Amino acid sequence: MNFVLIFLITIFSLSLFFYGRSKTKSISIEKNIKLNALPKFYGYYLVLWCSIPSLVFLLIWTLFEPVIIKSIIIETAANQGAIFNDKNEANLIYEKIKAIYAGTYFGDIDTILKESALSYAKFINLFTNSKIVLIFGIVIASVIYSLKKIKKNNKARDDVEVILKGLLFASSLIAILTTLGIIFSLLFESIKFFSVINIFDYLFGTNWSPQRAFVSDASAITAAEYDELKDAFGFIPLIAGTSFIAFIAMLVAVPIGLFSGIYMAEYASVKIRRISKPIIEILAGIPTVVYGFFAALTVGPFFRQIGENLGLTVSSESALAAGLIMGIMIIPYVSSLSDDVINSVPQSLRDGSYAVGATKSETIKKVVIPAALPGIIGSVLLAVSRAIGETMIVVMAAGLAANLTINPLESTTTITTQIVMILVGDQEFDSPKTQSAFALGLTLFIATLVLNYIAQRAVKKYREKYD
Amino acid sequence: MNNVKIKSKNLNVYYGEKQALFDVNLDLNEKEVTALIGPSGCGKSTFIRCINRMNDVIDICKVSGNIEIDGVEINDKNLDVVSLRERVGMVFQKPNPFPKSIYDNISYGPKIHGKGETKSELDEIVENSLKKAALWEEVKDRLDEPGTGLSGGQQQRLCIARAISVNPEVILMDEPCSALDPIATAKIEELIDELKKTYTIVIVTHSMAQAVRVSQKTGFFHLGKLIEVGKTEKIFKNPDNKMTQDYITGRFG
Repeated sequence: MNFVLIFLITIFSLSLFFYGRSKTKSISIEKNIKLNALPKFYGYYLVLWCSIPSLVFLLIWTLFEPVIIKSIIIETAANQGAIFNDKNEANLIYEKIKAIYAGTYFGDIDTILKESALSYAKFINLFTNSKIVLIFGIVIASVIYSLKKIKKNNKARDDVEVILKGLLFASSLIAILTTLGIIFSLLFESIKFFSVINIFDYLFGTNWSPQRAFVSDASAITAAEYDELKDAFGFIPLIAGTSFIAFIAMLVAVPIGLFSGIYMAEYASVKIRRISKPIIEILAGIPTVVYGFFAALTVGPFFRQIGENLGLTVSSESALAAGLIMGIMIIPYVSSLSDDVINSVPQSLRDGSYAVGATKSETIKKVVIPAALPGIIGSVLLAVSRAIGETMIVVMAAGLAANLTINPLESTTTITTQIVMILVGDQEFDSPKTQSAFALGLTLFIATLVLNYIAQRAVKKYREKYD
Repeated sequence: MNNVKIKSKNLNVYYGEKQALFDVNLDLNEKEVTALIGPSGCGKSTFIRCINRMNDVIDICKVSGNIEIDGVEINDKNLDVVSLRERVGMVFQKPNPFPKSIYDNISYGPKIHGKGETKSELDEIVENSLKKAALWEEVKDRLDEPGTGLSGGQQQRLCIARAISVNPEVILMDEPCSALDPIATAKIEELIDELKKTYTIVIVTHSMAQAVRVSQKTGFFHLGKLIEVGKTEKIFKNPDNKMTQDYITGRFG
């Protein structure tokens, strides 16, 4: 039904465009008046007036219709003698009524259900009909209004600008509100978690094992239980594992990425650059899950084999394998960004250096890199925040046990891995275990936010210097 | 008349398909200022960039013909460009100090060439270079501040000091005052007058008045050809060529 309506509104609006355009044109010729805007703007004006109010109305109606019908139906069912003790039972009955209406209910139907289903059908009909009538009413009203405006030779151009600005604003508002919504949901769930576990016990605890955290009644935790609990939610091993793997990744990504960036920017001929740059950037396009199984199935076992030959114990899921592969994944971020910043160091600086007799590598080492340094640091920080937020590779290759270790051959775990482990499978949403995932998410979010902020400040400061 | 320091013979320069200089034969005298004038794109800058082989930096640029400094051919593949540029310094159109301290800007060149091994030697080079560039008094108390924080005119003098720091024989100046205000320009011109006692100077300029003020010899370029060259006085008072006459009187350019 809704699709038909949207289709009709679209068709009608489009035809109004041509009507409005030709009509105003002919009026201006007939009466020999100078229009306040080009004829096509009057066309746009009609289109926008015809479509936006009716579509907005349709959207709101569609959002609220089920809610209203539901409350009416539950109330009528109650009046007819249906008994339900709480919200869940009421929902169950409502679902039954809906199923009966759709013809997919196979249980017994008593009189109450039957009556309710009939009235449900009645209301659905009523709502649909009134929706259609109202929408046509709105379309007609807004078309009449806008046609009247057009006849007065209004400044359609300005009005169209205002409406378009409004549309664009609405779009950005949606993006912002979504972000805020995510932050708040993280925040609220985390607050619930921190009301059970003291935030300092969480931040400075050295033991992470949420699978041990069984609480029979979250509202009444005894002191003994709490000691047990806080021992299950210590953040230190996770941040240590995360930083450790990110550190290994940066050991790989920064030198290789930076050097290839320098090569691309300073040495590569146009031809080589044109071929090799996209190839490096393909690395960034490989899905991380592919890196993940490469790390888990190829690199991990390979390291273990080498380790065995050398007489070392290497876990097949090791921080080294995960960090190495993550580093390879990050190379294009570092190389591409540092290529950009090196390229934007003005040629005049290089000329100045060559002119006193410096060679190319001296110029790069002593003039170009120092000049580009803030930008390079920015790109490295962006890469770090990418590394600590990366999930798939570490889930597959780093392991699950929260070991507090600096041995790269052992398995460690990361914040992201733990979030995945906690939320995979059936969960009850009011247990501290589940809520801890939100607390982890919030911590991770704040960490990457700070890193990104610093990185962007660095890059911006650098840009100001040369623009 | 001083000795000839730099001599170009049948110099041709190509940027890819496009020829930028056609058979330029020009002698530049020692310890004198030679001004090169001509409309934009006529090849003045291209010419001076041949003297310290800066054109090597541009991939598509090809140079044929000869340039000799003190009788030694420099347009030779086997020539050591580093030591050539030590002898031939350059100052650019836009001041381009490195984003380093004033001190580091000056000590950069000497360090590269292994001069000034001790700190005090280096200090001395920095002080002398800045003094020669008439900048010492203005910056002696803030040598560790960034060179980019100076005013435009000071930056350009810093760049001149940087060129002087490696003790060159020739200084090439590519429109050194085009980004500066009249007062800064006057200071630079005064400086050029002083510098010519020690160095051979080639200056590209768009300002006729500047050419008259600072140079002893002037060359006029047009469309990649050296049209006329001679004593500055003669070029501006009584040129042989009609085109030179038209250009200096502002009829085209």
